[in-house]
Amino acid sequence: MSQITRRNFIKTAVAAGAASALGPLLSGGARAAGKGKQVVVVGGGFGGATCARHIRRADSSIAVTLIETNKEFVTCPFSNTVLGGLHKMADITHNYDKLRTQHGVNVVHDTVTAIDAASNTVKLKSGKSLKYDRLVVSPGIDFKWDAIAGYSEKASQVMPHSWKAGPQTVLLRKQLETMKNGGVVVMASPPNPFRCPPGPYERAGMIAHYLKQHKPKSKILILDAKDKFSKQGLFLAGWEKLYPGMIEWVPAGKGGTVVSVDTRKMVVQALDRHKAAVANIIPPQTAGAIAAQAGLTDASGWCPVDPKTFESKIHPNIHVVGDASIAGALPKSGYAAYSEALMCATAVVALFRGESPGDASFVNTCYSLVGPKYGISVAGVYKLTDAGITEIKDAGGVSPKDADDAFREAEARYAQGWYDSLTADVWG
Amino acid sequence: MSFAMRRISFLLVAGVVAAPGLATAADVSPATAANMARNCFGCHGPNGRSPGAIPALNGKNAEFIVKSFKDFRSGERPSTVMGRHAKGYTDAEVAALAKYISGLK
Repeated sequence: MSQITRRNFIKTAVAAGAASALGPLLSGGARAAGKGKQVVVVGGGFGGATCARHIRRADSSIAVTLIETNKEFVTCPFSNTVLGGLHKMADITHNYDKLRTQHGVNVVHDTVTAIDAASNTVKLKSGKSLKYDRLVVSPGIDFKWDAIAGYSEKASQVMPHSWKAGPQTVLLRKQLETMKNGGVVVMASPPNPFRCPPGPYERAGMIAHYLKQHKPKSKILILDAKDKFSKQGLFLAGWEKLYPGMIEWVPAGKGGTVVSVDTRKMVVQALDRHKAAVANIIPPQTAGAIAAQAGLTDASGWCPVDPKTFESKIHPNIHVVGDASIAGALPKSGYAAYSEALMCATAVVALFRGESPGDASFVNTCYSLVGPKYGISVAGVYKLTDAGITEIKDAGGVSPKDADDAFREAEARYAQGWYDSLTADVWG
Repeated sequence: MSFAMRRISFLLVAGVVAAPGLATAADVSPATAANMARNCFGCHGPNGRSPGAIPALNGKNAEFIVKSFKDFRSGERPSTVMGRHAKGYTDAEVAALAKYISGLK
């Protein structure tokens, strides 16, 4: 109740025309509320890096420590363009220098080995431990390694998933470069929910773009654990236009679900047995391992959160953003993680100050390239209702299906603009 | 307190009631407007300063932003994705967004 009282007081003050006199006093007092507070952020991807940066931007008196294992972050968005030969790894690799130097985030390259919610402490691999007032966990995804017989972390060295960008992206690209003309690239696409719903289908197009130029007799077979997929009509039409006859999609209902793999024989078993020149197995997914270990996940394997603050419904003072969270209608995408992290950052600062964070608002904008000059997109605007995070009806949706070449080309150009802007507001 | 109740109390205290159908930025709290506006910057660049192919928002005046939103929404101004976004905001929200964005440094 004290929060509401305070809010009404501010409104009354504003209405009385005293805003200019009281504003600085109030914000000065509010700033002091953040002073000395410690926020620890686990994970330096779209969710974690955004949250760290924007907490500091909103209130530089809050100390923010970001724990990230790797010194550089390779984005999943645009990693398919590396497979297609449009970009190099350096183009999708970002470091934490600006978070440190321009935003005052204490970036620590270490790995969180345990979270003790009872004592507000995280333990690190180096042996150190850190206390927090609030913890933000943005661990991304992990794989259900036991879901496909014969598949494992070791098997992913032969049949890469490439669903966490980095060495796995490089490996798949190398395999495509060395495969013979006429081979079949077999892709396994996972069941819902998973990271980046349009991603496997963008990947198929990008691989086709490469094969069409260098190995035109080759084919791509997508074995799917689903019966429909994101931007489906647009992808199917785009493939038909750019790569006629090259990409075959097998839905779950027609035997698409992959049940086992044999890395020695290079065989992928769905309803039928498929011999692969290259196999890209994207396994079923779950929240990043540290989330489960810290008891932040429910029976679904993902993390239930308050949709306004992203505070865990299980452990107070711990927030979960990005792919690992259960965020209502928001998809598991880089942009959604960014949008969630912005709201979480605002909420964390407001909670320290005892203020209202305002009404929650979220956006997802997600581009896919079918070809270098053929872009398609999905957009969504989301707000909070009694049902949680809900997409606003009559807004958003996918690119028109009857668009002309100039429209597709413009969206391909905007896809690059999207990447440049988004990564600039996360790591830049 | 519900949003509607909060709004009524604000209007009563402020001693003004906007004419019906005339949406103003005051109908949306500054904090809410900021929450909405920040979501734009993933495409339009940090604080609306775009480093790439997508137009910048920083430096645009409120009138231009409101008109753009309405024209995107109606289709009068052709767009790839902005028409789809613009349909997600009420007139009052657009006014508040425009106020916030036009005030960016």
